[in-house]
Amino acid sequence: MELKNKKWTHDEFNAIRQEVLAQWPTGKDVDFEEAVKYHENIPAKRHFAKRLVKAKKNGDTLTQPRAGVALIDEHINLLNFLKTEGEADLLPTTIDSYTRQNQYKEAQNGIEESLKAGRSLLNGFPAVNHGVTGVRRVVESVDAPLQVRHGTPDARLLGEITIAAGYTSYEGGGISYNIPYAKSVSLERTILDWQYCDRMVGLYAEHGIEINREPFGPLTGTLVPPSVSHAVAVIEGILAAEQGVKNITLGYGQCGNLIQDIAAIRALEQLADEYMTKHGYSDCVLTSVFHQWMGGFPQDEAKAFGVISWGAAAAALAKATKVIVKTPHEALGIPTKEANAQGLRTTKQMINMLKDQAFPLTSELQAEIDIIKAETRCILNKVFELGSGDYAVGAVRAFEAGVLDVPFAPSKFSLNKILPARDNNGAVRLFDVGNLPFTPDLIAFHRDKMAQRGQAEGRQPSFQMVIDDIYAISKGYLVGRPR
Amino acid sequence: MTNKVKVVLGVIGADCHAVGNKILNHAITAAGYEVINLGVLVPQEEFVNAAIETDAKAILVASLYGHGEIDCRGLRDRCREAGIEDIRLYVGGNLVVGKTDFKKVEQKFLDMGYDRVYEPGTLPDKVIADMNEDLK
Repeated sequence: MELKNKKWTHDEFNAIRQEVLAQWPTGKDVDFEEAVKYHENIPAKRHFAKRLVKAKKNGDTLTQPRAGVALIDEHINLLNFLKTEGEADLLPTTIDSYTRQNQYKEAQNGIEESLKAGRSLLNGFPAVNHGVTGVRRVVESVDAPLQVRHGTPDARLLGEITIAAGYTSYEGGGISYNIPYAKSVSLERTILDWQYCDRMVGLYAEHGIEINREPFGPLTGTLVPPSVSHAVAVIEGILAAEQGVKNITLGYGQCGNLIQDIAAIRALEQLADEYMTKHGYSDCVLTSVFHQWMGGFPQDEAKAFGVISWGAAAAALAKATKVIVKTPHEALGIPTKEANAQGLRTTKQMINMLKDQAFPLTSELQAEIDIIKAETRCILNKVFELGSGDYAVGAVRAFEAGVLDVPFAPSKFSLNKILPARDNNGAVRLFDVGNLPFTPDLIAFHRDKMAQRGQAEGRQPSFQMVIDDIYAISKGYLVGRPR
Repeated sequence: MTNKVKVVLGVIGADCHAVGNKILNHAITAAGYEVINLGVLVPQEEFVNAAIETDAKAILVASLYGHGEIDCRGLRDRCREAGIEDIRLYVGGNLVVGKTDFKKVEQKFLDMGYDRVYEPGTLPDKVIADMNEDLK
């Protein structure tokens, strides 16, 4: 199939569907008509899209953890614990890394080893192996909106099974689940595979079932400048809407400078509205998600709570529709359920205290919004041009040319030419803009910001500065200064 | 041709955490080693093959995502079968699911045949100091 940003016909979709459902034995239990009827009976309070729309209307910021373990009953207990003890508004099911690489045999082995060991040896819930019936036990045992969160380049079978089982939201996208999550899978391949997922969600929408879709905002989660992740988010939003998705949440990962973080969420919302409307997708409902700091955390739990609180404050002041919450165990890997609940409660307290406070639109905030929007427009417009008016084709060519470029990405299809570092106020800038199609003014802006910091620290911006910034928060600071 | 000591570096299994890998590559190269960096998503077999092909003195395995226990098991046997039983095996990262006493984790991986086991948050300098002691 040739890659184009064009809605797949039913015939095109169905021709591939049979193949997808045959990838693992549990695929044969997916029955679309039955699944539609099942979704019709899911109450509004467990419906992800409806819950987000309500929160946006009320100006609320909802909390959501990450969580997933190997076995069904343990997973149900974990989610219910996070709802009752963590006061989570929205619940996830994080998928294990073998399933993300379509290694269902290894996932099966992980299930069996977990049964033997009496603890989860997988870092998430292997939903494909558990199948529609197993996944539905989770859906029916947890009284909250449920989303699949993963990092799967080819997530077609996982999507078929989990949505048929009653999940009402699905994370991922053809760029955001490739560049940070794969090494050598082509972008053409993953964009096509995610068109499949979006078309599947579009089919449910044609039958009156609204499923929320969420491209993965933070990408590599490490000093990603807002304009880089915003460009990807807007493109993935457009690609999803073209396939018939009607409810989309666009995301951004906290950088750490409050002005930049608030500006980023505002700019993302404004840009998404603008581009979706311009290209004819104004019937799509948009919401936003703010991810608490995705980089390295302090090992000291008290310090980790500081990082978590700062992310909660930024999310609340930016008025993001939801916030994805970190835990005090972040530096050490997968958290216990108690630690996960602590991160949630810390966040909830901050959000509740900030709910009635508005962050004023100061000239500094407006300037930052303007910069992010100007940069993002440079990238998006060049992608559109490279694709001769097609964002799917343009995205592939843009990554080849370095017009789209994600720092520290494992994928060989990202040029890795740009290098981010913090400025003297901790905002994430670029000390090497690589091939990003910025105007001379914007390039000068970044150069000046880096020069200011270099002067304050008495050193030239270099790769050492980048390394210092990557470790800074885990060592108790925001900016990685020589100490 | 250089006569630098060669080491194989990579992130094992289905893990795609790339940031630490890039930093270690940079730091170990700067310390005077030749790094054969296999990047992320590396199967055991690929580590062993790369070590044989390049005559590396050590294999540096990282695992950040919690499956380390399953993924790292058997690497020492595989090296032995391939005829490189004396190669040094280093492993580090977030090696198991959940917050666990590091002493127990370390013992588990020493028993699996690894020579050095690093806890979360270890800086490159510490690894390089050990390499200088073990490999030079």
